[in-house]
Amino acid sequence: MIGCILVRRRLSAYMDGDLDPVQSRRIVSHLEACAACAARWRSLQSAVEMLAEAPRLECRDLISTRVGDRLEVETRGAGLALVLRPAWKSRPLIVPSLIPAAAVLFVVLGAAFALDRDTEPLPAVATRGAESWGPTGASGTESNPVFVSSEVSAPRARTSAPITELMADVGEEPLFVETVVARDGSVSMVTLLGGDLRQAGPLLEALRHERFEPGRRHGRPVAVSLYRLISRTDVHAPVT
Amino acid sequence: MSKGPGARGIAMAAGEFALRSAEALAGGAAAESGLVEQCLRGDPHAFARLVALHEGMVFNLAARLLGDPEEARDVAQEVFLQVYRTLGRFEGRSTVKTWIYRIVVNQCRNRQRWWRRRRKDRSCPIDALTPADEAKLAEQGSRTEDPEERVQRRERARAVQAALLRLSFEHRAVLLLREVEGLSCQEIAGALGLPAGTVKSRLSRARDALRSALAGPLEAL
Repeated sequence: MIGCILVRRRLSAYMDGDLDPVQSRRIVSHLEACAACAARWRSLQSAVEMLAEAPRLECRDLISTRVGDRLEVETRGAGLALVLRPAWKSRPLIVPSLIPAAAVLFVVLGAAFALDRDTEPLPAVATRGAESWGPTGASGTESNPVFVSSEVSAPRARTSAPITELMADVGEEPLFVETVVARDGSVSMVTLLGGDLRQAGPLLEALRHERFEPGRRHGRPVAVSLYRLISRTDVHAPVT
Repeated sequence: MSKGPGARGIAMAAGEFALRSAEALAGGAAAESGLVEQCLRGDPHAFARLVALHEGMVFNLAARLLGDPEEARDVAQEVFLQVYRTLGRFEGRSTVKTWIYRIVVNQCRNRQRWWRRRRKDRSCPIDALTPADEAKLAEQGSRTEDPEERVQRRERARAVQAALLRLSFEHRAVLLLREVEGLSCQEIAGALGLPAGTVKSRLSRARDALRSALAGPLEAL
């Protein structure tokens, strides 16, 4: 009589008829005597029968149709086969496909350039605008000049521009000008705040060449902003 | 990609391909060996007949192995494309059917590995029975079984598939080839590239694993 462990190991071979007659008879004898192994044998048979009797699963559509479609695409040559080809295959259309892409790029860039170009350039405006707002330097420097006050002395002119002569070319409209006198006495910036820029051009150029004794704050030279109203009209003090 | 043997004549319409496939069903497997030679000679219809002979087996095996009819359909298509591309390298040491079984198992194994790498968060579908399969089951039993028996039959089919999917892939493959496809251990050894002794011991463990997996559901039924 063989043991349960050995019998259970051989049940699969017994099921397939792979055991010789002697071994088969021993298995049969053991199954007749051992209820546990007999139950195991029945459950094994039942499981295998259930699997063998399971319905065959069928595909809803014909696989042959899908295979045929795929093979047709693969053997058609150009067209979809070109799109579906592996990445490592050559790409003969890469250069021709770049030509229309380059043409489209050229048209788009050309149109953008044409639309961006101004038909008549605006005159340069030297008035203070938004561009002057931004990070500024320390107070009293050329980028952040101070105004004349009780603490800041006014710059004194060393060489003045011939304003009277130059005003002959300017119209009746008065000019309102800001001059920034730098710490070394030179003029770092002249800005026309009001008036005709085209007529005031020579005068502004002359003002840039003026030289001053710089303004001082606590004895140290600082950049000072001066505002001047320049007009051809004589202003007289009222007669009292 | 290597061109298949019948590349010259494969450019037939898909409809014609399907028609030839249906015709081939009537021919059976008797002309299988001749089909390969015809394919290699470039007969445009021979490959269609070869597909028709085996597409049912390929789909059923893939669906049972993967537990997902949609995946099985994709695998079946890839199997036949691989057959087409490599038919020229078929040496005839085994039957065409055994060779195709080997391709199916390998494709399914690769697909399952891909699942494990890419879709760890998604579980494998348990039920491979489509509504069409259930309708077929109902039709099969309608003449001989009462409604209660039909329900039990359907539940058994579900339980078997669920139990199969609880086994390892290798156990599942050897069980299906043996019990469903009816291959001998020698044929399974050829299909899986294993020694016959390994197939027998693996089959023994797989049967026992299936018995354990079905123990609970069988008691419930």
